[in-house]
Amino acid sequence: MKQVISVLKCVLPFICIAISLNKVTAQNTITLDSSFLDRINTLEDEMNYKKSGEDHFMVVGLTTFGYAGSKTTNTAGGLSVVNKANSLGDVDHYEFSPMFLWRHGDKFLMEFEPSFNNNGLSVNWADISYFAAPNLIIRAGYFVLPFGTYAKREAAGWIDKLATDPMGIADLPSSDYGVEVEGGLPLGKMKMNYDLSLTNGMQLNTDGTLSGGFIVDNNRNKTITGRLGLLPFSNSSLEIGISGMFGKLGTDGTAYQNTSGKMYAFDLNYVKTLNPVLLNIKAQYNIVNIDDANYISPVDTTQTYTFKNQSKAGFVQCSIRPVGANNFLKNFELAGRYTNYTTPANSTWGSNQHSFELGLDYWLTWRSVLKISYESYKGTSTASQALNANMGLTTTNTLYLQFSIQL
Amino acid sequence: MSSSCAPTKEIADKSGAQLWAENCQRCHNTPSPATFSPEQWETVGMHMQTRSLITDQERKKIVAFLKGTR
Repeated sequence: MKQVISVLKCVLPFICIAISLNKVTAQNTITLDSSFLDRINTLEDEMNYKKSGEDHFMVVGLTTFGYAGSKTTNTAGGLSVVNKANSLGDVDHYEFSPMFLWRHGDKFLMEFEPSFNNNGLSVNWADISYFAAPNLIIRAGYFVLPFGTYAKREAAGWIDKLATDPMGIADLPSSDYGVEVEGGLPLGKMKMNYDLSLTNGMQLNTDGTLSGGFIVDNNRNKTITGRLGLLPFSNSSLEIGISGMFGKLGTDGTAYQNTSGKMYAFDLNYVKTLNPVLLNIKAQYNIVNIDDANYISPVDTTQTYTFKNQSKAGFVQCSIRPVGANNFLKNFELAGRYTNYTTPANSTWGSNQHSFELGLDYWLTWRSVLKISYESYKGTSTASQALNANMGLTTTNTLYLQFSIQL
Repeated sequence: MSSSCAPTKEIADKSGAQLWAENCQRCHNTPSPATFSPEQWETVGMHMQTRSLITDQERKKIVAFLKGTR
């Protein structure tokens, strides 16, 4: 804008001279409106008032697109049914998410990431951060909860080494409305970080599952979520963290109004160059405990049922990249992940699920990647047959081809 | 009397290049300094600090390195 005004100011005198000459020679005269020059002067004053670097707006973003081909076998009551499917775009993992960053000076940052994925159009986060003091950031808005590290740091397609998200870890609602404080602190040769939020909280559904995200708050209670991280080595290669989430989940005025949840997460991240390879290990383990409650039976609404409402999910992932090899080979990365997810037995959604995924990535640039991976999944229902829940064993083998890029 | 919350001299003397190499790869590949303009690195640096929870000093040193190496 400044350059445009400068060019106009340079060119205008010549235009004015040309017009003046025409005025002298032409029968029909052209009068230049002096308010035009006044307007340019005002615009230049406005631009000069804004100090260079005070405001900065930029757009980055990611897209993940692929193909998934699967074969699923469901076995129940001695009967097996096989289902084959494929999806171009890999609908379950497709994502188009531009991110808008607006910085004001060195104190304020606004972040907004809408997202189009298999759930339609949604928002990953929309918040404002105030860099209040060294090592203290205050945030408000709709943001990713500090529960573990997968949702906040590892889920993006151009960061995740594999084509899928780990079951149970990514299923927990990851964003909420509230306020947050966070920061990193030196600790001698070590470092630590903290992240604490106060948000509306998740909601208990009538079958004992949880909902979160874009929902109207169902009670007057708030949920506290916090994480402490420690980097014990001076080269920051290892980080371990512990998280907790505590709050009431039930809707005010219902039988569940005092039902609360206590959730814990443990995470580990180890990244180290051990010539000639880069070793990368990531792990997270979540435990979700919800108070005992009586739920209305879906089979007979005059009856209730109950179960121990505890879910556990954990994954461990390892990848190696031959960074010491030639310019072609060093862009490959071999990754593997094991995930286990158990949901409450005797509920309508009880299960014991395992998956193992093995993938090979080729890094086109530091932030664009081609992935091919194969996932083997096995899930056994532990749901209550009396509640007419789906029973049996499910096995699924899926081949993924995926491209992800951040720009 | 030194505070145990302060970094040691060895840590405090780390260069922006060293901090860039150690911290960025904790989540993703180390970014090329040529990826963004100096102003963009200031903005990206703040966004990265909210994600990775690197210290304020680390962020400033890393951003200064990235801006100066384009």
